Amino acid sequence: MSLVVQEIPKVGLVMEAVRVTRWLKNIGDSVSQGEPLVEVETEKSVVEIEATAAGRLTEILVQVGQEASVGDPIARIETGKTEPAAAEAPKSRTAEPARRSHLKAAVLESRASERIPSSPVARRLAAEHGLDLAGVTGSGPRGRVQLDDVKRALGSQAGSGPSAAASATPTLAPMRRALARAMTLSNATVPQFFVERAVEWTALHQVRKAFDAQSAQAPRLSVNDFLLQAVARVLIEFPALNATFSGEPDSPGARLVPASGAHIGLVVAVENGLLVPVIHDVEQLGLVELARRRTECVERALHGRLKREELDGATFSISNLGARGPDRFTAIINPPQSAILAVGRQRDCVVPRDKSIEVRPLSQLTLTVDHRVADGRLASEFLARLVEILEGREWRVD
Amino acid sequence: MEHTFIEILRRALDEELTRDAAVHLLGEDVAAGGAFGVTKGLAQKHGEKRVRNTPISEAAITGLATGAALCGLKPVLEIMFIDFATLAMDCLVNQTAKYRYMSGGQLAVPMVVRTQAGAAGGAAAQHSQSLESWFIHVPGLVVVAPSSPAEAYGLLKSSIRFGEPVLFIEHKRLYTMKEALVEDAELPPIGKARLVRPGDDVTVIVYSAMVRDALMAAESLARDGISVEVIDLRTLVPLDMESIAASVTKTHRVVIAHEAVRNGGVGAEIAARIGTELFDELDAPVSRVGCDFAPIPFAPELERALLPGTGDIVRAVRELLGLAPARE
Repeated sequence: MSLVVQEIPKVGLVMEAVRVTRWLKNIGDSVSQGEPLVEVETEKSVVEIEATAAGRLTEILVQVGQEASVGDPIARIETGKTEPAAAEAPKSRTAEPARRSHLKAAVLESRASERIPSSPVARRLAAEHGLDLAGVTGSGPRGRVQLDDVKRALGSQAGSGPSAAASATPTLAPMRRALARAMTLSNATVPQFFVERAVEWTALHQVRKAFDAQSAQAPRLSVNDFLLQAVARVLIEFPALNATFSGEPDSPGARLVPASGAHIGLVVAVENGLLVPVIHDVEQLGLVELARRRTECVERALHGRLKREELDGATFSISNLGARGPDRFTAIINPPQSAILAVGRQRDCVVPRDKSIEVRPLSQLTLTVDHRVADGRLASEFLARLVEILEGREWRVD
Repeated sequence: MEHTFIEILRRALDEELTRDAAVHLLGEDVAAGGAFGVTKGLAQKHGEKRVRNTPISEAAITGLATGAALCGLKPVLEIMFIDFATLAMDCLVNQTAKYRYMSGGQLAVPMVVRTQAGAAGGAAAQHSQSLESWFIHVPGLVVVAPSSPAEAYGLLKSSIRFGEPVLFIEHKRLYTMKEALVEDAELPPIGKARLVRPGDDVTVIVYSAMVRDALMAAESLARDGISVEVIDLRTLVPLDMESIAASVTKTHRVVIAHEAVRNGGVGAEIAARIGTELFDELDAPVSRVGCDFAPIPFAPELERALLPGTGDIVRAVRELLGLAPARE
């Protein structure tokens, strides 16, 4: 008989904290390996975590509503097999398919860490305030940390020194924290430059109008669908930009990892933050299918129901702030992607045409590029080609 | 004006006999007033046909009452001591409690079994038990345990009108308790607990005679600055988890107290449900006060020593709060 600790696997690129939303198994239930065990809310979506071992769930260490970090033990599974020593475990682990590499299992010889005796309501309050119980002195029987102890600890935290105001205000929600971390990482470690061009929408609007007129049932195409298709085509044409930078810039191991297709993120503003669902293999999709997938993933993003594969794998993002957006803006790259396109609002502008002037609908496109991946010339050519496609009439509808 | 528990029961029965011709009283000596005088004078007023003496056979008279109820009457059967319910058990558990279910809802058994339980005054091991937990284990039986004369008045009337088999457990220690009745008050619903005393620090869940002990404990603890909330369950089945949850969510600490032994008692069931349904609200393990696992002794001194009471509740509350026992 041996105990296997189920840990929080890393499921997103920068995921550090999750909150348990639902246990799919109860204590005493038998679980098979790979069976969904618990549902957790990450910074970006709700995902199911699979059991790393078959056996019986004997202990739940993180209750619903509590937070845990990557690598934290969240449950113990008692495996049925009698294993002579912990040394056997790695053998079965290497036999595991690689896709499970994110799920770590460790065989326990003894309890990994000392459990802090604490009452359920004390644990709940501490979790709500991100307070580590290890630093709280328990006044209850056998040193149990009780509600009052947590209240006291929170009170003294709030009242001590310059951080008083900070700890009195609520801490960041996981999504905001993820955003803060990703943007800080981006700004601090990714050298970014910007290139800009105006795009004229006249042709695109005509194509769109023609499509809407002839296919009443099909989903309505949005400018974003055209942007996605155009960007996908340019990414395939410019593989040098369709890559991500990997490793430390000053290390000999640094490299550019090319992408296998055009995987594009679409920035979606949601309540109290933003999400970037990724549409994969966009170069293979017609506008109709793109519109369908875009609608779907935006919908799921708004409801916090994105699957984790829908958040990974992009090299490029599009941020379109829409009709109420600014004339032009610059966006910050979402690591580890290498570029992001900021689309300004469409407005009528005076443009010279054949020695006279005309009024045309224009938007300002600002492309932010990771300078480790590409240089100004490549970025300019990329943007020029993008504008060329957007102003043209060659679209793949189905 | 104040009335004793016995007088108030008599009045409730009298009023229900007057109100509904289907109501009949059955039991050993009830026409003569019963062992405790609850039904005194009712035979004279309502006739011996409706207030009927029965032979000394709990099995037979429980069957009689059940049959009468099936045929449309509303019998109120008196089982003199709950200790004798063992003899009525087959009928109560296998017949009375089952008809509604086994007839697919076509039959009803609108009967009340009044019985009397608990220890007082050296009635010894065979006449002092608190056996309510046997009955909460049987689907189909409603179990009511009033805590005072006024409560008994309303709950007995509600039980008679409820339309299902109700075991109505009176505590013999309460029989002499006096209380004024609020006239024309609304009858308490079956299945709803009563917040007897609001408090913030600890919830004490009680029923029957223990409510009085809990109130005294709360009073005594209040002098030490401890605020106790007292909840009188009134009915053990159905259990009012909603009221319990509201209180536990406020105080985060619970003591459940009853006179019955702790083993397999009502408190065990409630503690389990709190542990499951309100786990995240708890700041301390649920504490149970109950009789030690022993028969009730005859000697009054030993009876007093064994029975749980105010002091035990005070001790349990202080222990939950991590306080030293009070000096007694």
